[in-house]
Amino acid sequence: MTCVISCRALTKWFGATAALDGLDLDVAEGEIHGFLGPNGAGKTVTIRILLGLIRPDGGTATLFGDDPWADAVTLHRRLAYVPGDTNLWPNLTGGEIIDLLGQLRGGLDPARRTELIDRFDLDPRKKARAYSKGNRQKVALVAALASGAPLLILDEPTAGLDPLMEAVFQDTVLDTVAEGRTVLLSSHVLAEVERLCQRVTIIRKGRTVETGSLAEMRLVSRTTITAELAGDGGSLASLPGVHDLRVDGPRVMFEVDHEALAAVAGRLGELGLRSLVSSPPTLEELFLRHYGDELEHGGVDHPVVAPRLEADP
Amino acid sequence: MTATVRLVRLILRRDRLRLPAWLVGLVGLMAVSAQSIHSLYGTDEAARAYVATVGDNPALVMFAGPGYGFDRPTSGVVLVNETMLWLALAAGLMSVFLVNRHTRAEEESERADLIRSTVVGRHAPVVAALAVTAGVNVAVALGVAAVTLAFGFPVAGTVALAAAIGLVGMAFGATTAVAAQVAGTGRGAVGLGSALLGLAFVVRGVGDVRAPALSWLTPFGWGIGVRAYAGERWWTLAGLVGFIGVGTATALALSARRDLGRGLLPERPGPAGAGAVTLHPVGLAWRLQRGTVLGWAVGVFLAGLVYGSVADDVETMMADNPQLADYLAQIAGASLAQAYLATAIRMLGLVVGGFAVASALRNRSEEAAGYAELLLAAPLSRWRWGLAHLAVTLVASIGLVTLGGLGTGLAYAQTSGDAGQLVTMTMAALASAPAVLVLAGIATLLFGWVPHATPAAWAALALFAVVQLFATVLRLPHWVTLLSPFGHVPSVPAEPWRILPLVLLGLLAAALLGVGLVGFRRRDLAAA
Repeated sequence: MTCVISCRALTKWFGATAALDGLDLDVAEGEIHGFLGPNGAGKTVTIRILLGLIRPDGGTATLFGDDPWADAVTLHRRLAYVPGDTNLWPNLTGGEIIDLLGQLRGGLDPARRTELIDRFDLDPRKKARAYSKGNRQKVALVAALASGAPLLILDEPTAGLDPLMEAVFQDTVLDTVAEGRTVLLSSHVLAEVERLCQRVTIIRKGRTVETGSLAEMRLVSRTTITAELAGDGGSLASLPGVHDLRVDGPRVMFEVDHEALAAVAGRLGELGLRSLVSSPPTLEELFLRHYGDELEHGGVDHPVVAPRLEADP
Repeated sequence: MTATVRLVRLILRRDRLRLPAWLVGLVGLMAVSAQSIHSLYGTDEAARAYVATVGDNPALVMFAGPGYGFDRPTSGVVLVNETMLWLALAAGLMSVFLVNRHTRAEEESERADLIRSTVVGRHAPVVAALAVTAGVNVAVALGVAAVTLAFGFPVAGTVALAAAIGLVGMAFGATTAVAAQVAGTGRGAVGLGSALLGLAFVVRGVGDVRAPALSWLTPFGWGIGVRAYAGERWWTLAGLVGFIGVGTATALALSARRDLGRGLLPERPGPAGAGAVTLHPVGLAWRLQRGTVLGWAVGVFLAGLVYGSVADDVETMMADNPQLADYLAQIAGASLAQAYLATAIRMLGLVVGGFAVASALRNRSEEAAGYAELLLAAPLSRWRWGLAHLAVTLVASIGLVTLGGLGTGLAYAQTSGDAGQLVTMTMAALASAPAVLVLAGIATLLFGWVPHATPAAWAALALFAVVQLFATVLRLPHWVTLLSPFGHVPSVPAEPWRILPLVLLGLLAAALLGVGLVGFRRRDLAAA
């Protein structure tokens, strides 16, 4: 696997607070890599280091094998960036800004520009001050997607987009990856990450807490089972690997460890299985597993996944 | 007007350093001036000598005032002639900036929407901004009165002087409140507000030299017209109060029929794609600064025309005034007109210094707004990005200085019938270009190394202006005047050319710019 982005033990201090505290991040060529973490976890700081806009205080970051600070200009020929909160010059039109950014990145394909403006339903003749947040975001997206850059760094790119435009965004990103490009996608929209990303990195308080493919993560997590039985489901509780069993008449709901799944499925058959729904853990559950305790601190009574489910990979 | 008081408190909290800085600066300036004039012209005899040598010089009428009370000179009359116009101008500038900062400029942030979504009356933001501005002007007036009285100046004249300064300042707060409703952006509003201030300054000068009726079209004329220490005419202050009232009412009426965040002028669609100019970093910088530069160009050229056109009157009036023989002798060999023109051109240089600071700090404002991040994430080096805006700063500063000289020369050549003056005056104006560029250098140095302290560049400009304008009255030692780059510029055409200081100033400016950009390359980019 060729690493396009590689960060090792990155640290960054802002005064006395550590914005990054030993962060690791690897993004392989040709993948869409999800970059997740709660607000203030350090996602944008990491991205700004990768762009050479700020310098890390410790650790190393490489982009295409080069130093993002020292080789900023040459590296920027190979990437396009969409900030999370796009500020645009109020007196320039959207079309002018798209051309400007495209030209700076080494030119953009006019046909692709037209197509994307059309797909995103953007009026390029409007001055930026007249755009809504979503429309400003579209300007930055069109400029980035229409460039031929092999790496796209997207920092919460769909914040402010309506659901229709979000779908357009997802399709377009999938198209770009089909062309062999690499995408680093920082996002809070878990459904979007689940649909787009092969691998994700979850960070918290400036550290990487989990990284890997979604499939791998699911293997070390639990599957939720909802079933209707002829017999009494209460006895399932005694099986190893079954958690949080709830029995409601003929219906049972529980979570089961991945490795105990086969044994539990056999037992369900013995109990006279009538219907079965098995749902693998969602990214939301994976995500919340790492922030569950934070949610409790914040006064949220029922985290979707209880903290005691902690299972270290 | 619901919640006006709360908004006033918010403004006071946000500007808890800015407001005292203005106050201390203005009152401090008055304190040192009053002290100096008290010790130099404390006796009526000394005051008469002042009037005989300096005061009656019609050339100075342009930059001081019509000289009320020169028939019976006292130290108070000298004080008014030396300080009033400049302090009123400074109070006016302060009011322009303050009002815009809390009205039109604020609307460009989403904070304004947030504030207006709460239980806040439609007029509250404008009223709060004007109330704070009025409060600061009152504080300035009280401070000016206190320090002046402390040096034993007569009470009635002091009250008139202080009140007039505060009221003229506030009058420009009111005009800016109106400008804030008309202009499309905060930058536009501050431009319009300052342009009105500059126009009033120039019109008052021309009026006092040529047609006194003109002076009464400006708040300055009404302020100076109070005749402090020279038989006060209190009704002129009432005129200023009325002006402020009408301005405030107009602003409120306009703000009620305007969308938040929009000017009264409609927005037109622009090009769907970028032209060749916008695609280049320098072209983009030009595109972004174009409006400001063109506005300044018109202003500086017109001011030059006006100053130049009056120069001949100076010569004529001098011929009728044998008292000025002494003054003439002081500036060996130079005619009074030349001395006047040298002063006028130096003044234009200082004014263009304001442009240079604003323009050089554009790098900082682009960074703070988050625009720089977009460009620097593209393959554009920090050098090239930083130099793009500075290129506009340098070329435009030199261009503006030249235009000021051209305007002055054109008018003077026409009235004096000597076409050669066009070249003489343009070249004379160019002499201040290196000093102007030093200001851009100071701004860039701050931007590169201490970006949070960039407002200090304005403090440097203010310091240079004070040294320039008050050197005589404060009897500043020669070395102090040399702290200002403008102190090294030869007063062409009244003095002969000296090239070496200009070359050194140019090198200093280049060094400051270079070191500033090196600092910028080394530091973290600020987050938007």
